[in-house]
Amino acid sequence: MNTIHLDNTLPKVFLSKPDLQSDIWRRQVCFEKGNTYLIEAGSGTGKSSLCSFIIGSRQDFEGKILFDGKDTRRLSTKEWSKLRQNNISLLFQELRLFPELTAMENVEIKNSLTHFKSNQEILNWFEALGIADKMTSPVRLMSFGQQQRVAMIRALVQPFDFLLADEPVSHLDEKNSQIMSDIMMEEVRRQGAGVIITSIGKHMALPYNKVFSL
Amino acid sequence: MKLIWKLLRRHISLPQFAGFSLANLFGMLVVMLSLQFYNDVKPLFSEDDGLIRPDFLVLNKRVSALNSMGLGSSGTFTEKELNDLKAQTFTKRVGTFTASQYKVSCSMGIEGLAQFGTEMFFESVPDDFVDVDLSKWHFNEGEDYVPIIIPKTYLSIYNFGFAQSQNLPKISEGIVGMVEMTISMRGNGLHEYIKGRVVGFSTRLNTILVPESFIRWSNERYAPDSDNEPSRIILEVHNPADDSIVDYINEKGYDMEDDKLDSGRMMFFLKLISGIVMLVGMFISLLSFYILMLSIYLLVEKNTEKIRTLLLIGYSPAKVALPYQVLTIGMNATVLLLATLGLSLLRSLYMLNLSTVFPQMNQGSILSATMFGVMLFLLVSLLNITIIRHRINQIWKN
Repeated sequence: MNTIHLDNTLPKVFLSKPDLQSDIWRRQVCFEKGNTYLIEAGSGTGKSSLCSFIIGSRQDFEGKILFDGKDTRRLSTKEWSKLRQNNISLLFQELRLFPELTAMENVEIKNSLTHFKSNQEILNWFEALGIADKMTSPVRLMSFGQQQRVAMIRALVQPFDFLLADEPVSHLDEKNSQIMSDIMMEEVRRQGAGVIITSIGKHMALPYNKVFSL
Repeated sequence: MKLIWKLLRRHISLPQFAGFSLANLFGMLVVMLSLQFYNDVKPLFSEDDGLIRPDFLVLNKRVSALNSMGLGSSGTFTEKELNDLKAQTFTKRVGTFTASQYKVSCSMGIEGLAQFGTEMFFESVPDDFVDVDLSKWHFNEGEDYVPIIIPKTYLSIYNFGFAQSQNLPKISEGIVGMVEMTISMRGNGLHEYIKGRVVGFSTRLNTILVPESFIRWSNERYAPDSDNEPSRIILEVHNPADDSIVDYINEKGYDMEDDKLDSGRMMFFLKLISGIVMLVGMFISLLSFYILMLSIYLLVEKNTEKIRTLLLIGYSPAKVALPYQVLTIGMNATVLLLATLGLSLLRSLYMLNLSTVFPQMNQGSILSATMFGVMLFLLVSLLNITIIRHRINQIWKN
């Protein structure tokens, strides 16, 4: 997949807002593979909605979203599953980890589906992100910042053309934020993928190709 | 799969599943047991002696004092009466009894022992009314051997009446079948002998039966001039419990041989009762199925968020549904296994009692009831699989 094209896209809840000022909504926007994008937004501007629309979990929008020119509304369940396994990875703002599983198991549950990374590679990431000692602890016992890092690793153990990161570093300090963006960008470059990062203020310091204001 | 299972088995309620399993086991057992019991007991009620099928009735005209004195009607059935009977809605087929019109006597004995003999008679019904292997039941002109079917009561009279009081050994059906009889036939100036052997015992027909071809040949040979209007007829009906049969027979003044209709009615009640019990069993199974589906729905409901996350990170609905499907199939299979075990256990208990009362009962098998159980299992599992998948698809679509 090489492009994600937003064609006059607008969340239905915003239909009653005629004076909407946005670089994304009701515009023609094209995200290209290989580029890095930042979407800056205030609360309630539809940032997480955009991620849900792109990942296909919600359809309550006007206009179209096109993957390589193909309308996402026409995708079958099977095609969505394949896309989520091989083409788009989403780092959820609310993380969506499984609290009863350990940190490692949360990553394995994804990797066992894709068989994309070796245990050693995953272990290296845990170490680099400073949470290797927490690998076997239930994820519910970890802090949000630690969980954010686990979620990042889970988002990376799959092939993707686009990585969507919904406020990836909201609970991390500068140092860890830097480590996380290094790891993320290394994997993104390896895969030649595009990155779309959303942020409500604090964001990774990256050479963005384009910055949108939502 | 292991991790998915670890994730999705949360909130499994053991009491709910135990409740389902017990209810399902009970329902399944009732269904299978009623079917099995019906199969086991059917031969006793239907008096199916393996020779004459149960839906046959034997009719004759009532014998009155006038008949005895040679007055009144002849006691035989006319062509018109037969046609009328054939036209009735309850009738499937009508066959006539043909009696031997010459003198018959029979003697038998085992070498070295005194022979004994008796005057007797033969009758025949059309061969397709006799349910015996046709290779055993035939006679061709020129053969010196004829197969015979005698009433079971003859043997009982000997064994339990005569032999008992005279301290003679009882004889079994098998031994009678091995004894060769010498039959003498006289008439039309001829006196000839032929060998005979008993090939079966009938509890349904009170007569000494030989193949129709034999009667035809022998009547022609020994009594060529006799008229041959039947005095008894055999009737195959659609449903022996049909009331219109009794009405018709009473109206025409015919007699029916002993309890044929009773056994028909017994059969009908056996079917009815087994049917009702089976329905109750099915109903219990249905309820247990409902419990299972509710439990699964509840389980899926409690795990909805997790399932949604799994779907969002790339799991297909089929993969997410699989653990629940395996769970239900596993439970259904366990129930089927236990029900089959329970069935064979309960059956061995009642068979022990039944075979004391009815020693002739054959052992049969639990194959058909088990097959029915397997079919029920397949049906229920298929429904389970479909419903679970449907539920997961609903979560996919929100």
